[in-house]
Amino acid sequence: MYRLILPLIFFLLGAGFLISTFNLPKARLGDPYGPIYFPAILGVLLVVLSIIYFIEEWKQRGDKFPELELLLKGRTPFLLISTLVISLIYAFLFERVGFLISTIFFLGGLLFLINGRKKWMTNIIVAVSFSVITWYSFAVLLKVSLP
Amino acid sequence: MGVDFDVILEGLMTALEPMNLFWIALGGFLGTVVGMLPGLGPATAIALLIPITFGMDPVSALVLMAAIYYGAMYGGSRSSILLNTPGDGSAIAATFDGYPMAQKGQAGQALAISAIASLIGGLIAVVGFIMLAKPLASFALRFGPAEYFLLMIFTLSAIVALSKGAMVKGFISMTIGLLISTMGIDLQSGVHRFTFHLPELSEGIDFLIVIIGIYAVGEVMFNYIGIDKPRGKKKEVGKIWITKDQWKRSKWPIIRSAPLGFLIGVLPGAGGAIASMISYTTERQISKKPEEFGKGAIEGLAAPESSNNAASVGAFIPLLTMGIPGSGTTAVILGAVVMLGIKPGPLLFENDPELVWTFINSMFIGNIFLVILNILLVGLLVKILDTPAKILYPLILVLAFIGTYTLSYSPIDFTFLLIFGLLGLAMKLLSFPIAPLILAVIVGSDMEQNFRKSIVGADSALSIITMSPITIVLTLLTLLSLFYPMILGWFKKRKLNNLPK
Repeated sequence: MYRLILPLIFFLLGAGFLISTFNLPKARLGDPYGPIYFPAILGVLLVVLSIIYFIEEWKQRGDKFPELELLLKGRTPFLLISTLVISLIYAFLFERVGFLISTIFFLGGLLFLINGRKKWMTNIIVAVSFSVITWYSFAVLLKVSLP
Repeated sequence: MGVDFDVILEGLMTALEPMNLFWIALGGFLGTVVGMLPGLGPATAIALLIPITFGMDPVSALVLMAAIYYGAMYGGSRSSILLNTPGDGSAIAATFDGYPMAQKGQAGQALAISAIASLIGGLIAVVGFIMLAKPLASFALRFGPAEYFLLMIFTLSAIVALSKGAMVKGFISMTIGLLISTMGIDLQSGVHRFTFHLPELSEGIDFLIVIIGIYAVGEVMFNYIGIDKPRGKKKEVGKIWITKDQWKRSKWPIIRSAPLGFLIGVLPGAGGAIASMISYTTERQISKKPEEFGKGAIEGLAAPESSNNAASVGAFIPLLTMGIPGSGTTAVILGAVVMLGIKPGPLLFENDPELVWTFINSMFIGNIFLVILNILLVGLLVKILDTPAKILYPLILVLAFIGTYTLSYSPIDFTFLLIFGLLGLAMKLLSFPIAPLILAVIVGSDMEQNFRKSIVGADSALSIITMSPITIVLTLLTLLSLFYPMILGWFKKRKLNNLPK
């Protein structure tokens, strides 16, 4: 039955969008409903599409989701969650400790995670050299200001 | 024809400036490298490398971006032939006969014919571009807001209709893309829409974050699945050249496929993927030995390679003359081009002929450069293919983050980047087509502006349709694209009924 969850999410999204469209402030310039037409049409469209999608999925409600099982197999879920965590730490550190140090840690972390601990030499060399090269090419050659 | 040869020559001279030659070479090389990575295609390559173009002058930036594009197409066929893993849709047809050829020990010949076919296909298409672009641009001058609005609808519905068997999912993907494009301050009235009181959202979501999130972060996350699987063994590449007999067999397929691919590339919604499939099946049908196709027939590799490169050149026509991209990849290029301050449209040819013709000539030079690169440096390129994906994926993630940071210098964008990465992953897993969403995010706000302009003074929204002959034709085309699967089914049924019993 969990095949039906996704169409329901789209339905709620469309309905929620439609409702908030009508709560938008009216424009003081020009047509007061000007900013509303287009999003309102989209809201209706999404609601209609989610109903069609629901009917399509209802016909195969007994079927499994092979895709979901792919995602939960092996170390994929672990990799995904760790990538998210490392990325959020990176976002937090980026402006606080500067580009070079945070990127070495970010890239190093990802490499240890994905490439494995056994290849620690390669990981460290790649993390440091790639971070320095990108820092040099962006900050010096392309003159992008990095923290 | 009205083709002004002085301007073309001037463009050639600009394209031959050392700096631009350098960008062509760099873009072609980087594109090839990213395109060779299993699972990554031209869209990812461009999305990742967009930050390099910031601060460049628009002409060089466009030249660089196009070089990355066709470089990635070349690279994609490398991994199709050698590893049987196409980077994106347009490289799929290259696996049909390219991989069997490599298995038979003809990897070198396969790589050579793919490079030669791509070159010839690209060159023929550039000639087509020169002949078709100008007339189309002058035709597009007659387009008003209503025409543009309907053209965008037609492009979106065509791209959805061509995502086989997933029409409903395609339209959902498109609608969500359009919803994203409405976020932020409305340009005409100053009303805040769907910003959830977050100051970061007041200018809407930068479409480049959506692109980098979905095409780079999402793709890498998707490739986590099966990352530990050992890859197929690569055969010795051997000498990179073809025999006289092989050339004789592939000569005509290459020449036939180029115009076909070019025209398909011009059409909205149909890109290299469809072009290469169609020329593959056409060649198999007219071949005297169709049974050899799929088992390493050289013409089965030459035809799609010529056609997909021609299609990638053709795709630039609607992009530059009307500002309407026909595929996910060209949508990414449009996004980048607009960022650089170039305004694609019919007037681009009048206002900035130097840009246009430098760009076109750079495609000539770039295609020749890539063949040289692919033949001389094949050893190096094959070595890059050996670099473990486990090292390359982290590097791509880092580039995605840096690219995002350069957009507005705020690490808060990293959160949005991750959100769109997860969205991309979910869409790939649940087989929602991605191109409609990308296209919608990029043309969405333009589409809304044109819609609102065209309903001003109209009695009802429906009168947009009957405003001019062009709008009527566009509406009919849209309906056709929506119902063509049904029409096709009906024809098949009739044909079956007419068969003698």
